[in-house]
Amino acid sequence: MNLHRMLAVAWKEWREVVRDRLFFTMAFILPLMLMGVLGWGLSLDVENIPFVVVDHDNTPLSRDYIGHYTDSRYFRFRGYLADEHRIDPLLADSKVRLAIVIPPRFQERLLAGTPAPVQALIDGVFPFRAQTLKGYVAAINAAFSRNLLVKHLARSRGLPRTAAEAMVQPVRLETRYLYNQAIRSDWSMAPALIMLVLMVTPPFLTALGVVRERESGSIYNIYASTITKGEFIIGKLAPYAAISCFNILTLWIVAMQVFGAPFKGNAPFFYAASVVYVICTAGIGLLVSIWVRTQMAAVLLTMVITFIPAMLYSGMLVPIQSLSPEARLEAHLFPPLYYLRLTWGTFLKGLGPEALWRDVAILALYATLLWGIGWWRFTKRPGR
Amino acid sequence: MRGRLLLWWLRLRVMTAKELIQLGRDPLLLIIIAWFFTADVYLAGSGISMELKHAPLVVVDLDHSAASRELIHKFREPHFRLLGEVAHPVEGQRMLDSGEAMLLLEIPPGFQRDIRRGLQATAQLRIDTSNTILGTLAAAYSAQIVEAYALELAERRFGTGRLLERAPVIDDRRRVWYNPNQTETWFMSISELLTVITLLSLMLPAAAAVREKERGTIQQLIVSPLTPTQVMLPKVVAMTLAILAGTAGSLFLILLPVFQVPVKGSLPLFFLVTAEYVFATAGLGLFIATLARNLGQVTLLVVLVMMPMLLLSGAWTPPEAMPEALRMVMPITPLYHFIEMGYAILLKGAGVDILWDSMLALALIGLALFLFGAWRFRRQLG
Repeated sequence: MNLHRMLAVAWKEWREVVRDRLFFTMAFILPLMLMGVLGWGLSLDVENIPFVVVDHDNTPLSRDYIGHYTDSRYFRFRGYLADEHRIDPLLADSKVRLAIVIPPRFQERLLAGTPAPVQALIDGVFPFRAQTLKGYVAAINAAFSRNLLVKHLARSRGLPRTAAEAMVQPVRLETRYLYNQAIRSDWSMAPALIMLVLMVTPPFLTALGVVRERESGSIYNIYASTITKGEFIIGKLAPYAAISCFNILTLWIVAMQVFGAPFKGNAPFFYAASVVYVICTAGIGLLVSIWVRTQMAAVLLTMVITFIPAMLYSGMLVPIQSLSPEARLEAHLFPPLYYLRLTWGTFLKGLGPEALWRDVAILALYATLLWGIGWWRFTKRPGR
Repeated sequence: MRGRLLLWWLRLRVMTAKELIQLGRDPLLLIIIAWFFTADVYLAGSGISMELKHAPLVVVDLDHSAASRELIHKFREPHFRLLGEVAHPVEGQRMLDSGEAMLLLEIPPGFQRDIRRGLQATAQLRIDTSNTILGTLAAAYSAQIVEAYALELAERRFGTGRLLERAPVIDDRRRVWYNPNQTETWFMSISELLTVITLLSLMLPAAAAVREKERGTIQQLIVSPLTPTQVMLPKVVAMTLAILAGTAGSLFLILLPVFQVPVKGSLPLFFLVTAEYVFATAGLGLFIATLARNLGQVTLLVVLVMMPMLLLSGAWTPPEAMPEALRMVMPITPLYHFIEMGYAILLKGAGVDILWDSMLALALIGLALFLFGAWRFRRQLG
């Protein structure tokens, strides 16, 4: 391993990155931009759901019931409809996601102490949204019913209000949210996005860096030179890894300052773990660059093997426990799963190396394996 | 006049054929395209679910009574998986920290006694909300479980069934349309297909155009009698054909036979809308091609353009949750209209009578993008 030759390649690569102005800005701006766009855009909160009402009863009680929806930030009132037939086209055109139908004699039935039906029609195209909406509607109905029932019992049996409440609801659940008390989705999203961005950008940079030389033919200079393949690989990829190591810091700052995520853990440990992760993901780019010959293919292949695992198999959006067995196996084959445990663990839970060393060890093993395969498969002979 | 039109048509045909042949000679690219349309859509549809399933739950039962055990066993599969009991809350907290457990249910001493005396008994639940989606779902499900248990106890006291039949409560009749069982595979596979179409219709035309620049073959095209439009349009047409073929493959090999997506609307209409969308997005791709000098730059620009498009359109997230300002921008992105129409045609069975406004909007956006891309391209070539 000749340090001098390695540094020469690294320096040449660095100048190439700096002189390709678009590539240079992209290397630094793209990660931040991805973080910003996803941080603001990737919100799975179910809020502002447009809904319409068909109120056949039109009494104070039915309007009081509708008020529970109109006053909530989860719903956005789009008006009353005269009859049920108007609902279908609105739902089909996605103008509304929910329709509530109150039949006649709603107030009369309830005041007489009997149940009254209410129909809620939900657009089920997006199952997550439909599930959440079902939960909201159930919660509103339960609260409204409980209130009526307490009043009814208090009146008919002459009980004090608290006794009536205990009678209606003998058991209560007190829920505490840990690590993210306000359930702010940006607190959990921002650290997860560090994982996503560092999964996607380093392989892009490294794969394109190597394949670009192969496509333009300048790699023949390397083939003809005295440099060994190990020196070439390390020298070639060092600038890209360095850029990504710098990006860790900027992303970290954005996560905390812009998205307000708290950092409760051990900072040097987190940085060291992130460097291991970046080396690991840069290794993915190295492997891609060995398998493909054109930049186009490099890009698409990198996209396939980084973006989708990071998005869907890391536990960021979709819980690992609820994946199918094959998908769960696949999730454990990719590094994002382990790094996401590290980011959430250090950011939100305040855990340190003693709890998380295993994940770092797995990432380090992964990195060694990737770079080892990269070194083994890389060849200085043209025309494979 | 007729001769010129014929010549124009001939050139278009020959150039389109050239693009298709060029695409066909890059086997790796073809494999990747095929992978996107089949395996990728399959993986997204089969493995992924945003439901709460088997969430690990650990219990600290300080009451050890019939009532506490009854409540604990209400938390069951498929939503929750009972890991077991621990003696002390500290041990439970450690399991939450390490991620072994996601929920910790704590039942205080005197739980059953309170219920017997007609007081309100309280159980405590700690939820790991580092993943907010799961956290909120877990909170909602456990609230529903405890609510149902409370109702059961209340009914037992009043005598079976009497409370609900003879009390002033809302009889909740929820109905979910278009996907009554909330089958996740339908949504996820269609969403992934639309994402793949977006990615490829940005990427393929842009790459085809930049590759000519990079290899210098563009000089040949410039000296040929072809006009810039005749150079550009065949690329778009060829890639549109390739993407439509891929979409058909995805629909007929994966979505319909494997996932049994119920196609309620008209498939020709779906393909028409897809073609319209691919054309619109290809205009954007050509614009990217004019900005970039090599494929590396194209990629970065594609990612830069695609991410906001995906997130602003409701491909992965409910579009209603966007901030007010972004919600105003949403109708400008072609994907927003395409996604609404895609689901409306495939799952809701909507026809032209309902969708005409979105189709018109998409056509206008497409035309604008295409003309803009063409204008930039022509200026650069000329």
